[in-house]
Amino acid sequence: MLTLDSLTKRFGDKVAVDAVELDIPEGQMVGIIGRSGAGKSTLLRMINRLIDPSEGQIRFGDVNVTTLSGSALRRWNRDCAMIFQQFNLVPRLDVLTNVLLGRLNHKSTFASLAGLYSREERLMAIAMLERLGVVQTALQPAGTLSGGQQQRVAIARAMMQEPRLILADEPIASLDPLNAKVVMDSLADINRREGITVVTNLHTLDTARTYCQRIIGMFEGRVVFDGTPAELTAAEARRLYGAANDGFSEAMTSTALADDDNASTGAPTRSLEEDRADTELAKQRAEALV
Amino acid sequence: MTVSSASKPASPSAAFPQENRLADRWEIEIRRRRLYTALTVFIIAGLTLASLVFANETNAGKFFDRLPYFFDFFGDLIPRDAMEPIRALFDLPSPYDNGSFKYDYPAGRHDFIGVFYIPEYFMAMLETLNIALLSTMIGFTFGFLFSFLASRNLVRSVWIRGAVRRLMEVLRAFPEIVIAGFFVAIMSLGPIPAIAAVAIHTIGALGKLFFETVENADMGPDEGLRASGASWVERVRFGIVPQVMPNFMSYTLLRLEINVRASTIIGAVGGGGIGELLRLSISRGHEAKTLAIVFLLFCTIVAVDQFSAWLRRRLIGEQNFGLA
Repeated sequence: MLTLDSLTKRFGDKVAVDAVELDIPEGQMVGIIGRSGAGKSTLLRMINRLIDPSEGQIRFGDVNVTTLSGSALRRWNRDCAMIFQQFNLVPRLDVLTNVLLGRLNHKSTFASLAGLYSREERLMAIAMLERLGVVQTALQPAGTLSGGQQQRVAIARAMMQEPRLILADEPIASLDPLNAKVVMDSLADINRREGITVVTNLHTLDTARTYCQRIIGMFEGRVVFDGTPAELTAAEARRLYGAANDGFSEAMTSTALADDDNASTGAPTRSLEEDRADTELAKQRAEALV
Repeated sequence: MTVSSASKPASPSAAFPQENRLADRWEIEIRRRRLYTALTVFIIAGLTLASLVFANETNAGKFFDRLPYFFDFFGDLIPRDAMEPIRALFDLPSPYDNGSFKYDYPAGRHDFIGVFYIPEYFMAMLETLNIALLSTMIGFTFGFLFSFLASRNLVRSVWIRGAVRRLMEVLRAFPEIVIAGFFVAIMSLGPIPAIAAVAIHTIGALGKLFFETVENADMGPDEGLRASGASWVERVRFGIVPQVMPNFMSYTLLRLEINVRASTIIGAVGGGGIGELLRLSISRGHEAKTLAIVFLLFCTIVAVDQFSAWLRRRLIGEQNFGLA
């Protein structure tokens, strides 16, 4: 259980996150929505401790995350994986190495500098890439992949950390609708199958409604809505986005992730056999590499 | 601002007062900038002229008085026959050999295997190249290590950063030839003081270029690694080094080219290698030897520059295929 206790972050005079109180039980899929500048990103970064809170406490189980430092802090970073809008992979390193970088905290600095990864770790990385459908890119430099593929590689890296919690900061904001759906499906799948808590910032209401059991709305640093998708009425949404009554509709925030869109886009016309052959080839190459 | 379209304006300037004021301000600003540019050019031209006159006044012989003697030096450089520089270059016996140092070409031969030998100047050139190569590698190693400690985006402590930066400033403050002067006095003549001198300057020079590259690196990968619990060393190794390595290589190869020239010059103050032989042959008036050395130097420097350009293309061109 993740508990935030009057968590506050100030940048100079500006209060980015204002006394946020939250309890997130294990295994929940939570979407945080709100306008840009509402403090969503700052909140997630504070939970991972990429930035330090000004006031308040973060607790995970009986660990006080707020006071961690040194190797204990790095262990928390590992337990609390983070997905970024800009993927934050190392573009010049190949995909498999990028995924294996998720293991850094599991081994000594010497072992990671020497690139000593066990066969189990390599197989685990390949299996994770396969599950996310990007195993055919395993030996390419990460920078040559499309946005959607890079984000899936980033998820694979996060999973290599064997995290207890995944934070996703606008994971689909720079992706096209189709890739956005693939990425959100992956996160939902991880949440369902592994039972890992997922907290994700989203800027589209319909995505949050589709994927999250619980929606938290933020406005000017404060939590102004906390409930199920059904409880998020049009009036609530309007309040959340600070929109005037005229001309606000949910469609404005939409990226249209309806299922039948898939069929109509029908973009790359590759057969399943081709894809499978690719995957097979990649697996063989990966095996040879291991 | 909005202008009502109903009332027809008498003149454009009357209708758009705010826009006009803005345009006027912009024009004044442009005029001021042009004035400053003209003033700056005028001042720089004046200063240049003044320093040229000053240099000529303090010189022993006046530039224009001495100019007619310019070609005398080259006249002195013409050897007895066209084959002489080639004989000097390859240590072949000279028909003019009279027992003096001027024609004792075969005496410099370095034994190799059986009848084969390495000519003296090739050996000396190798010595100079070795000084350049070794000092560049030492400079790269320490410059590499120091650069991360000197980067604002990687080290928060002003004290560590400041200390490393000051150290590198001191290291590159003195020209190689000055440091070499000190080391020759301490360690006596030879390539070791030359290597120490060039390496020290290289650490400071490369370190500065390196940490500026590191400070311009994209911190996204670093953030990603930090968020997954990587230690500082791991973040530098996997988040920063892959990004900056092509630039580091490029700077290092450039430094290698510079160091080949620097180690030649240092030879002239006692650092061994081809520079020492060049100084001796010029001061003794051995024209054939001087020509041979200058020719060899020219070829070597062109070859090193070409090689480093080729290597740079190979190393960096390949890694740069459209990656963000």
